[in-house]
Amino acid sequence: MPVTRRRLLASAAAVGVVSASGGVFSPAIAQNKPLRVGILAPRSGIAAAPGLNGIRATQWAVERYNAQGGIGGRKVELVIEDESSPKDTIERFSKLVQQEKVDCVQGIISTGVGLALGPVVEESRALTIYWDGTTQDGVDEKIPNPRYLFRSTDNECEAVMSSLLTIKNWKGKFVTVAGINPDYSYGRNNMAAFVAILKRFNIDHRVVTEQWPKVGTMDLTSHVAALKAAKPDLIFSSLLFADLPVFMKQAHAAGLTEGTKLVFPAAGWQHTLMKKEFTPEGMLFGHNTLYFANPQASPLAKEFVAWYEQTHKDYPEWEADRAYFAIASYKAAVEKALAAKGGSWPSQDDIIDAMVGLSIESLGGKGAWRKDHIADQTFVQGLTTHNNKYDFVTLGTFESLYSTDLQKPPGANFWEWIKTAQFNV
Amino acid sequence: MSAFANILAGGVFHAAVLFLVAAGLQLVFGVQKIVNLACGSFYALGAYFGITFIGYAHQFGMSEWLLLPALIISGLLLGFIGPPIERMLRTVYDRDESFQLLLTFALLLMFQDVFKFVWGANPRSLDSGYLIYGTIRAGDFSMPVYNLLVIAAAIAVAAGLGGFLKRTNYGRILRATAENRAMAEALGVDVYRIYSVVFTLGAVLGTTAGALVVPTAAASLDMAIEFVIEAFAVVVIGGLGSMRGALAGALIVGLIRGFSILLYPELEMLAIYLIVVAVLIFRPAGLFGRSLA
Repeated sequence: MPVTRRRLLASAAAVGVVSASGGVFSPAIAQNKPLRVGILAPRSGIAAAPGLNGIRATQWAVERYNAQGGIGGRKVELVIEDESSPKDTIERFSKLVQQEKVDCVQGIISTGVGLALGPVVEESRALTIYWDGTTQDGVDEKIPNPRYLFRSTDNECEAVMSSLLTIKNWKGKFVTVAGINPDYSYGRNNMAAFVAILKRFNIDHRVVTEQWPKVGTMDLTSHVAALKAAKPDLIFSSLLFADLPVFMKQAHAAGLTEGTKLVFPAAGWQHTLMKKEFTPEGMLFGHNTLYFANPQASPLAKEFVAWYEQTHKDYPEWEADRAYFAIASYKAAVEKALAAKGGSWPSQDDIIDAMVGLSIESLGGKGAWRKDHIADQTFVQGLTTHNNKYDFVTLGTFESLYSTDLQKPPGANFWEWIKTAQFNV
Repeated sequence: MSAFANILAGGVFHAAVLFLVAAGLQLVFGVQKIVNLACGSFYALGAYFGITFIGYAHQFGMSEWLLLPALIISGLLLGFIGPPIERMLRTVYDRDESFQLLLTFALLLMFQDVFKFVWGANPRSLDSGYLIYGTIRAGDFSMPVYNLLVIAAAIAVAAGLGGFLKRTNYGRILRATAENRAMAEALGVDVYRIYSVVFTLGAVLGTTAGALVVPTAAASLDMAIEFVIEAFAVVVIGGLGSMRGALAGALIVGLIRGFSILLYPELEMLAIYLIVVAVLIFRPAGLFGRSLA
């Protein structure tokens, strides 16, 4: 059949009519397009290492999903952007949503960025799953009852767990307590939670000094000297960036670690840098939601750790689990909503509704989403040992706790909840 | 008493490293009249390169005991970056100070990307060696010998620089150029050669400081900007262009920081900048600087 100008115009008009009737045809078209997931994670600066852990875990998961047909039959594409300052990250979030047209945004490690971005997420009505960065401060004011935002477990979970394990292991063996914590809401809240739980259980204690180094301070010799001067029986520290191994090195050099009980709920973020030569045995050490050497880990977690070691010559920490949990939750929610709609592609609201109450097996153990869009996950902490094949410390004895035992229930005030909570340790 | 000694030791160690960077800054400003914001980058470069250098040195069988001299060598080796950067700065010698500040700040940012490209975004540190020289202990007082050696190195640099500037012919020529560039040129001094030497010396002071500090800490992308701010506090307190001022300013900043951390940690930065503000109000030229009026 010859192509005439009239026939060409008629065809073009037909295409226009079909395109305009998107409501009828879009599910089929959407199902053929790749699913785009935007990732916002730090790739430089002091949080680059956890950012990289999260990105790698997401890439690992997406490769597996794509090899098995993707999510709900659609291949997954990642669009990765940097998490940096709140202002710049908000701009990149808008770019992901408006220009890149991603179906879901995942990532965010910084508490400050998370708080600033929360209201923007709600305003943009874009499904977003945070990996980390949820402290008590400012959340109620800035992100009350989020619809589109799903947040990580409370940052204070690790402080609650280490406080309980401190009491369990060392009750009656310490009186003077010192703190060295990063000078922002995470560090402040962790220390406050530790002291609140000691008070809750009537543990006789006296805080002799509290040090608040700025995040990333690399000369901590004066802080170490101040801690030493206070002669504490126990040091509580939620240092977690590159300054943590520096502190341990300088504390060890000053003899501060000898005979002092050490409680470090967030040390797992730097676990491979916590070398045996300056990190003592018997220190309470938090691996948060992923302990790479957990002998009770699932086959999935063991496969991931082996892949990570082989591919990156390194061992993953908890941000890898948080990232995996985010992408695995999204997959499960999409497929649950898809099944509920009899195979037609679900709307974003359908996916959000499917997320609530969802329970999945993450790398670090069981995880679930509460009705207030906060995660529940499995935490691991224990006492360090040098008895391993690595040049850094691992855990000798350890405990796993599900965050229902560590996290305030939906709607509760954290500080009031601590006063009356029934802890299961 | 031992608490006081521990704080003093920590403060003096911090001051020693600060002095090395601030001395480079002072030298360059004193002679070239350039406020070099990139001095923090030299410090960071020294730290990163020091880690790489020690890594290779260990592969070639270097004894752990040679850590300190090896780090000093690594800092000195970086002197080669001085002449080309100084050559670039010649374009702004005769222009407004704001151009000089903008150019050196641009260098600072460019270096940060170079560090990211070469060494990656993650902080880097030396795995061992910090305690190879042992620790001095007396009651509750303890101080790694390495820290003491760094303080000794800073004192040696201060004495050496002082001697070089005051007692050698080249030092006199440097001072003459700083006093009156036109006169020095009229007397046959190759001013640009002097500038190149001075800038290289300033850069080497920064790179050596960075290399020396790395066994005790870590190299990170932010360290350049963090340190340049403190170095400028030193310069403001001591007086711009004064070597004695750099020494006094570094000691004041190091000790104030140490004691405020002990007495009231919240005041760590406030205490330092209160002094900076006081100096700017009551003695704008700094403790050892010469008034421009």
